[in-house]
Amino acid sequence: MQDICNMTNRGERMKFKIKFNKANIAMSISVFAVCIVLVTVMFIQFRTIEQVNESDIENMREAELREQISTYKSRYEEVNAQLEETNKTISEYETRIESNQEASELLDEELKQSQLLLGKTDVVGEGVVVTLTDNDEYSIVASDLLDLVNELRFAGAEAISINGIRILNMTEIADIYGYIIVTPNQRLVSPYVVKAIGNQTYLTSTLSLKNTGFIDSYTSSGRSVALEQQRNIEIPKYEWDIEANYMKEVTE
Amino acid sequence: MILIAIILGCIIGAVIGIFAPMVSYTYSGYLAIAIIAALDSVFGGIVATLKKNFNLTIFVTGFFGNAILAILLTILGQKLNVDIYLAAIVVFVGRMFTNLAIIRRYYVDVVMKKIEEKKSKKKVENEK
Repeated sequence: MQDICNMTNRGERMKFKIKFNKANIAMSISVFAVCIVLVTVMFIQFRTIEQVNESDIENMREAELREQISTYKSRYEEVNAQLEETNKTISEYETRIESNQEASELLDEELKQSQLLLGKTDVVGEGVVVTLTDNDEYSIVASDLLDLVNELRFAGAEAISINGIRILNMTEIADIYGYIIVTPNQRLVSPYVVKAIGNQTYLTSTLSLKNTGFIDSYTSSGRSVALEQQRNIEIPKYEWDIEANYMKEVTE
Repeated sequence: MILIAIILGCIIGAVIGIFAPMVSYTYSGYLAIAIIAALDSVFGGIVATLKKNFNLTIFVTGFFGNAILAILLTILGQKLNVDIYLAAIVVFVGRMFTNLAIIRRYYVDVVMKKIEEKKSKKKVENEK
C-alpha cells in the first residue's frame, strides 16, 4: 500500500527507501499474513455458501441437530398427549352412547309392555272361544255379550275379541236399532265368536259352573252357546286411536 | 515489496481457502461478519496510508480485533435474540463506503493535478 503511496509522492520516496530494511520487512510480513488470513476465510465462506443448499443437514452442527431432534420429540409427545385425550373423549362418548342405547332399549321394552297391556298389539295364546248364535227362539242381545265379557274378565281373561274386534275396557257394547254395535261403530252379526286369552282352566271352569255358570244358565234359557278350548288363539290389535281428551296426569 | 506481499498473500490465501475444510452453516454467519469487519479494517488501513498516519500495530490489532469483536457481538445477539449483526454490518459497510469515497477523492485529486500541470507546462512551452 505504501508502494502505491510512494509512487504518487515521489518526493518522499527516499525516506521510505531508508526505512526499507527494518520496518518495511515487518510490515510486508504482517500484510502478507493479513492477506492470507482474509482471502482464506473469504474463499472458505464462498465455498460454504455455494454448497450449503446441496446438503443442508450435513452442514449443521451436531448440537443444532440435537436441538431439532428434541423439538421434534417434544412435539411428538404433545401430539401423542392430544391423541390420548381425543381417544379418551371418544371412549367416553362411546360409553355414553351405549348407556343411551340401554336406556332406549329399556324404554322400548316398557313401551311394548304398555302396548301389549293396552291392547295395541296382536296377541296370541291359550284360551277359550265362546260362540253365541241366534236361533229361532232367542236372538242374542248386547247385554248377553256384556255379561259374557264381564264373566270372562272375572275369570282372568287378558285379551278379548268379538268377531275379530278387540274389546278394551273402554269399549261399549250396545243395542242400536236392532243391531249390536261395538264402539267405534262396528256392527256385529250372528254368530258372535268371542275369543278370550287367559288361563284355560280358570276360564272354562268359571264359564261352565253347574247351574249358575254362564253356559248352563244361557243354554237352559234357550240360547245356543258353544264353549271351545284352543291352544293358539289369535286376537288382533285395537285398530283405532285411543284418545284422552279430558283427563290429565296429576303433577305435584 | 509490500505490493508483492499483498499479491502473494492473496494467491496463497486463495489456494488455502479452496483446499481448506468447509465450515458448518451455523458458523458461516459469524465468518461473514468477521470478513466484513476485516475488509473494513483493510480499507481503513488504505485510507490511513493515504493520509500518512498508517500504524502497523493499530492496523493488525484492528484487523483481528474487529473481526473477533464482531463475531462475539453476533453470538451475544443470538443469545439475546437480537440481530446485533445487522448493526455491525451497517457500521462496517457504512465505514467502508466512507473510506472508499476518501480514497476515490484522493486519486481524483491526484489525477486532476497531473492534468493541470501538463496543461500549464504546455502553455509555458507554447509561450516560449
